[in-house]
Amino acid sequence: MKAYNVINTRLPRVDAMAKATGDARYAADLAMPNMLYGALLQSPLAHAKILNIDTTAAKKLPGVRDVVTAKEAGLVKYGVSPARYDEQVFCSDKVRYVGDEIAAVVAVDLETAMEAVSLIKVDYEELPVLLDIESATTEGAIAIHDDFPGNVGAEVHQEFGNFEEALKECDIVRTDRFVNKRQDGGFLEPQACLAHYDLSGNLTLWSSTQSVHYVQRSVSMVLGIPIGKVRVIKPYVGGGFGPKAAVNTMEIAASLMSRRTGKPVKMVFSREQVFLHSRARHQFFHELTTGVKKDGTIVALKNTCHLDGGAYSSFGIATIYYAGSLLGAPYKLPNMKYDGYRIYTNKPTCGAQRGHGGVAARAAWEQQLDIIAAELKMDPVEFRLKNIMKTGDVTCNDFNMSSLGMKECLEAVRDGSGWSKKKGKLPKGKGIGAACGFFVSGAGYPIYRSETFHSTATIRLTEDGGAVNLYTAAAEIGQGSDTILGQIAAEALGVTLDDVKVHSGDTDFGVDLGAYSSRQTLMSGHAAKAAAEDAKRQVLEALSEVLNVSPADLDIAKGVIVFKKGKPDFSRLRTAYAKEHRGWKDIPSEGELTFKEAARIAFLTRGVIIGNGAYKPGELGGKYKGAAVGTSPAYGCSAQVVEVTVDMETGKVTVDAMTDAHDCGFAINRTNVEGQMQGSLSMGLGEALFEEVRFDGKGRVVNASLGEYRIATALDMPNVRTIIVESDEPNGPFGAKEVGEGAIMPTIPAILNAVYDAVGVRINELPITSERLYAAMREKQKK
Amino acid sequence: MLLLPKFDYEEPKSMREALAMLSELKGSAKVIAGGTDLLVNMKKGTVRPTRLVSLKKIGGLREIAREDAGLSIGSHVTISEIADSALVVSLFPVLARSASCLGSPLIRNRATIGGNIVTARPAADLPPALMVLGAEVQLKGKGKSRTVPLDSFFTGPGSSVMKAGEVLTKISVPAVPSFTGGDYIKLGHRAALEIAIVAVASRLTLDRPDGVIVDARIVLSSVAPTAVHAPLAEKALTGQRPSEELFARAASIAATECSPITDLRGGAGYRCDMVGILTRRTLLKAFHDASGMKEGGA
Amino acid sequence: MKKLMTLTVNDRAYEVAVAPNRTLTQLLRDDLNLLGTKEGCGVGDCGACTVIMDGKPVNSCLVLAVQADGSHIKTIEGVATSDGLHPVQQTFVEMGAIQCGFCTPGMVLSATSLLEKNPHPTEHEVRQALSGNLCRCTGYQKIVEAVQEASRRMKK
Repeated sequence: MKAYNVINTRLPRVDAMAKATGDARYAADLAMPNMLYGALLQSPLAHAKILNIDTTAAKKLPGVRDVVTAKEAGLVKYGVSPARYDEQVFCSDKVRYVGDEIAAVVAVDLETAMEAVSLIKVDYEELPVLLDIESATTEGAIAIHDDFPGNVGAEVHQEFGNFEEALKECDIVRTDRFVNKRQDGGFLEPQACLAHYDLSGNLTLWSSTQSVHYVQRSVSMVLGIPIGKVRVIKPYVGGGFGPKAAVNTMEIAASLMSRRTGKPVKMVFSREQVFLHSRARHQFFHELTTGVKKDGTIVALKNTCHLDGGAYSSFGIATIYYAGSLLGAPYKLPNMKYDGYRIYTNKPTCGAQRGHGGVAARAAWEQQLDIIAAELKMDPVEFRLKNIMKTGDVTCNDFNMSSLGMKECLEAVRDGSGWSKKKGKLPKGKGIGAACGFFVSGAGYPIYRSETFHSTATIRLTEDGGAVNLYTAAAEIGQGSDTILGQIAAEALGVTLDDVKVHSGDTDFGVDLGAYSSRQTLMSGHAAKAAAEDAKRQVLEALSEVLNVSPADLDIAKGVIVFKKGKPDFSRLRTAYAKEHRGWKDIPSEGELTFKEAARIAFLTRGVIIGNGAYKPGELGGKYKGAAVGTSPAYGCSAQVVEVTVDMETGKVTVDAMTDAHDCGFAINRTNVEGQMQGSLSMGLGEALFEEVRFDGKGRVVNASLGEYRIATALDMPNVRTIIVESDEPNGPFGAKEVGEGAIMPTIPAILNAVYDAVGVRINELPITSERLYAAMREKQKK
Repeated sequence: MLLLPKFDYEEPKSMREALAMLSELKGSAKVIAGGTDLLVNMKKGTVRPTRLVSLKKIGGLREIAREDAGLSIGSHVTISEIADSALVVSLFPVLARSASCLGSPLIRNRATIGGNIVTARPAADLPPALMVLGAEVQLKGKGKSRTVPLDSFFTGPGSSVMKAGEVLTKISVPAVPSFTGGDYIKLGHRAALEIAIVAVASRLTLDRPDGVIVDARIVLSSVAPTAVHAPLAEKALTGQRPSEELFARAASIAATECSPITDLRGGAGYRCDMVGILTRRTLLKAFHDASGMKEGGA
Repeated sequence: MKKLMTLTVNDRAYEVAVAPNRTLTQLLRDDLNLLGTKEGCGVGDCGACTVIMDGKPVNSCLVLAVQADGSHIKTIEGVATSDGLHPVQQTFVEMGAIQCGFCTPGMVLSATSLLEKNPHPTEHEVRQALSGNLCRCTGYQKIVEAVQEASRRMKK
C-alpha cells in the first residue's frame, strides 16, 4: 500500500485536549443571557385517550413564561421516514406509551418549570394496554395507530433464489429460535438542547444530536419555519450510538417556546427520560432455518423476524429491513428468504442502535452455524472459512462486496487467539468461541427520498498563514470524525493535520446526513477529500502561472511544494512574501517553497481560495422492494474470538479475552479504528451478559437507571486485542470504509459459542444472566 | 439535572442539639451522612424529609479504635476507611471484604457504616459481616442511650428498631476467638456498582486447628426482608468435625432457611439455590482461614 | 433559606450562598461556572460528576453543596497546572483514551487520585479504581493502558 504522510497514523484526536481538560462544551453546558428552562409533561399511562388538558394552574405559577400543548404546537406529523410519519411533537388524541409527550412548560428556572408541569391536569380515558407482540397482534386488539389495525406497522417479504427448492439439496436443515431484549443507547450524555429564535425570525438550535441535517428538516417542517431560517449546531456530543440520529421532542418544543417567548430555551433530559425516549435497539424474535450440504456448503436460509417496535416507527422502518438483509453476507448464500414484521406496542419507541437490525440476527445465525458445524464435525472456523465470500462477490440480495477482507480477519483472530491450541482442549467451564459479521459503510440512500448529496464539504484557505478551514455538517459524536476528516483533508491537500481546522456539525456548513449507519469516514470523507483536492488544484494552478511550471509537475506534501522536475528559482516570491511580513520572525527560509507561501500567492492572484466537495453514492443495489435498505457503497467486516469462564455452580459468565479483527478498508487513524472496535465489543458484551430494558405490567420502565440497566464497567471488560485488516476499498477515500458498527456483529455470538464450548449449553435468549445459564445447565443435567 | 426537593439543613454542634432537632420533627428530620442512599431516594421522591441534620461538627463519630480486644467503629466512618483500615483488615477481614464489595470506589468514599446499617436495605453489604461478627450498635436518643445487637436490629426492608429521634453513634465489634475464620461472598451481575442478587457471610470457630467447630454463624442477605441467620445450618455445624460433606449439608439446609422474592435482580428459586452455593463456599474459606490461624481473625 | 459557605475549589477560595437542596455538582456548574464536571445520571450510578473532595474521588451529585463547607475540591479544571497537562491527561490524549469525552473528566480524576495513593498499580487495581466511572465509547482498554503508561512516566 502507498505510503502516506498524515493518514494511517496514530495522530492524537484534534478534540482530545479540550475533552481532557474539561474545556469541551456539551449541550447542557451552554447558556445564553435571559435563558429560560423547559420541562416536559409525559404520559404516566401506556395507552389512553386524552379527554382534556387543563394548563390554567400551570400558566399562573409565578415564573412560568409559557405552556404549550398540541394546540400551540400543531398536529404536523413527522418521523424518520416519510413513509411512516406517525409522530406528533405533543399527543393530541391519545397517548401511546408511558413517556409520550403531552405538553411543555418554560420558566425562569428548572424547579419552577417542573412544578408547573405537575400542575397541568390531564383527564385520560384508559385504553387496553398492549405490551407485547402477542397481545398486540391478537384478533380484535385495539389499534395503537388507526392506520394500522392489527398493529403490524411494517411488513417485509423478500426472497432471493428459491428457499424451498434449495432445501432439497441440503443434507442438514436446522431451525432455531432466538430472542434478544430491548437495549438502551447507554450514552453517558443525556440529550439536551438550547433553542434561540431571534428577533429576525432565525432559529439557532444547539443540540446533542447525530444529525444536524435531519433535525433541521424536522424542526422546519413541524414548526413551519423555512429551512433557510433554521440553523442546527451540534456542540460536543457525549455519544450517540443511534438514538440521537433523529429529532427528539425537546428540540421541537424548545424551538417552539423560544419563538413564542422571544427568549432562548434550554431543555435537558434526565437519565430516566433518556430511557423513556429510547429510540434504541428493538427486541427481535427470530426464527431461522438454515440448510447446509454435508460438505459444509451453506445453501439456504429462511429468516422470520418479529420486531417489538414500541409505540411509533422512528428508524424502525429501516430496522425491519436490516434484520433480514444483514445476513446476506459474509457467507456465500444463494437462497435467502426473509419475512419481517414490526409490531406497534405501548412501550417507548425503538430505533437504530449500533449495528442496527443486524445484531440480534447475526447472534442467532452465528450460533446456529456453530451448531451445524458441530453436527458436521467441522471446526467452526474452518466451516466459516469454507463459506466466506471474497472481494468482488455479490450477495443474493445484491450487495456488492467491493472489498472484503473476511478471510484475513478470520485467519487473524484464529491465529491471534491461539484458537487451534484451545478449541476443544480447555477444561470444563472454560470455552472459546468465534463468529463473523459485516456492516454497511453508510446507507446507500437517505432516509427521505431525495437526490441530495449525502455529504458536502468546503475548504477555505486563510488568506495569510495557509491555514486550512474545513467546513462540514458531519457530526463528531465521539467516534472521531473531526480528526478523520481533518486527516483526509490534510493528506489530500498535502499539509499537516496541525494546519487544518475542522469546523463541523453545523447546518450552515453544508449538507451531511450525519453520524449513523457508519457512513462518515467513507461519505463525509469523500467530500472532504474532494474539497481538499479542489483547493489544491487552485493553489497549484496559481503557482504554475507565477512560476511558469506546468501544474502536472507540481504537488504538495508535508506542507511544502514538490517540484517534480527540478526546483525553479522562487526567491522573487519569497522576497515579496518577506516584504509583506516585515516584523515577523518566522519568515520561511528553508530550501523548500512552503504551502503557506503558495497559498498566499494563490490568494493574491485569485482571491479567496474555496475548495468544494460533494458526495453521493452511485446507483446501488437491486431493484427489489426494500433494496434501498442495506445497499451501501462498501461493507466492513469483522471476525472475533472470545474466551469465557463459566462458574459452573452459579452460571456466572466472565469474558476473559477478546480478539477482534476488523476490515476497515484502510485505517485513516489506527488508534481511532482500534477504539471503535473496543467500544463496539463492550456494547456487545453488555448486551450479551447484562443489558435489558424491563417493564412492569403497566408499561412502565422499571430499570430506568444506569444502576439497574447494566452497561459494562472497567472490571467487566477483559483486555481486547484488536487487529486491523486493510482490504483497500475502491469506493472509499484512500481505500477507507467503516469501523463504527461492524465490530459489534460477532461479539454476542462469539460469547454464545464460547459458553457452549465451556458448558455444552445453548442459550437462545439474551442476556446470558447467571440465572438463565444456571437454569439451562440444570436442564441439560436432567436429560 | 435531577433536582432535590426543598428542605432545611442543620449542622448542630453537639449531640444534644442534634437529638433535640431530630426528635422535634419526629421522623420528618433525618440524619444525612454520606447521602448515597438518602439523596438518591429524595431525588426519586420516595423519601421527603423536611429537614436534614448533619453530624459533621460532632466529634467521636469518625474513629476506628480498639475497644477491649475488639473494635469500636464510629457510625460516620466511611466504607473506604473500613475497607482500607489496617486494624479492620487484620482483626475482621470478613468486614473489610464486605466493605470492598459495596458499590464503587466513589460511593465507598462517601457512604458510611452507619448509613449502611440504618437504611436497613435487605441487600446491604455490611450487615451480614457485622452480624456474623456479633456486632452491636449504640443508639443515642434524647436523654438515653441503648445498645442493640445487630442480630435484633433489623425488622423489615427499610425498617429497624430505631425510634424517631435516635442516632446510631457507634458499632462495637467484639474480638473473635482463636481459630476463627470468616468470608463474605456477594453474587451480582457486574463486577462493580452492584446490589447483591444474593450474599452470604459465614464464620467458623474451631477449638483447635484440626479440631471441631465450636461456633458457626451464617448470615444470608437479599433473600428475606432483612439479613437473617440460618440457625438450622448453624446448628448442623456446631460440634462437628469440618469436612466438605458437612459444609455441603449445612449449605443445603441454609438454602431452606430463606424466603427470597423474585425481583428485578433475580428469581426466588435461583436465589435459594445460590444461598446453598455461597454458603458452602464461604464455609470452606472460613474453615481454611480458621485452621490456618494462630490468633482469631474473621 | 440559603446558607453561606466557604470552600476551596482548585486552590481558589470561594464564598457562596447556597440553598440546602443544591448538590455540589450544581454549585460547581451553575454558581462557579466550572462546567467540566458533568451530570450523567444524578444518582451516583455513572461517575460523570466525579470530583476530588478532601483528597478522595466522590460523586458530586450525591454531595450537598452545604456539606462541602470548608472542603477542598478539585475538579477537572484543576488537574493541569501552569507546567502543563498532568501525565494522565497527556497519555489520555496521546493513546486514544478519549472518544466522546463525557466520562473523561471523571476518569481523569479517579485515575490521578489512584496514582497519588498507589503510584504503581496493577492492571486490576487500575480497573478497580475506575470501576465507578462508566464509559460507553472506549471499552476501557485504552483508558487502562493510558493510566498504566502515565504511572510509568511519573516514575521517572
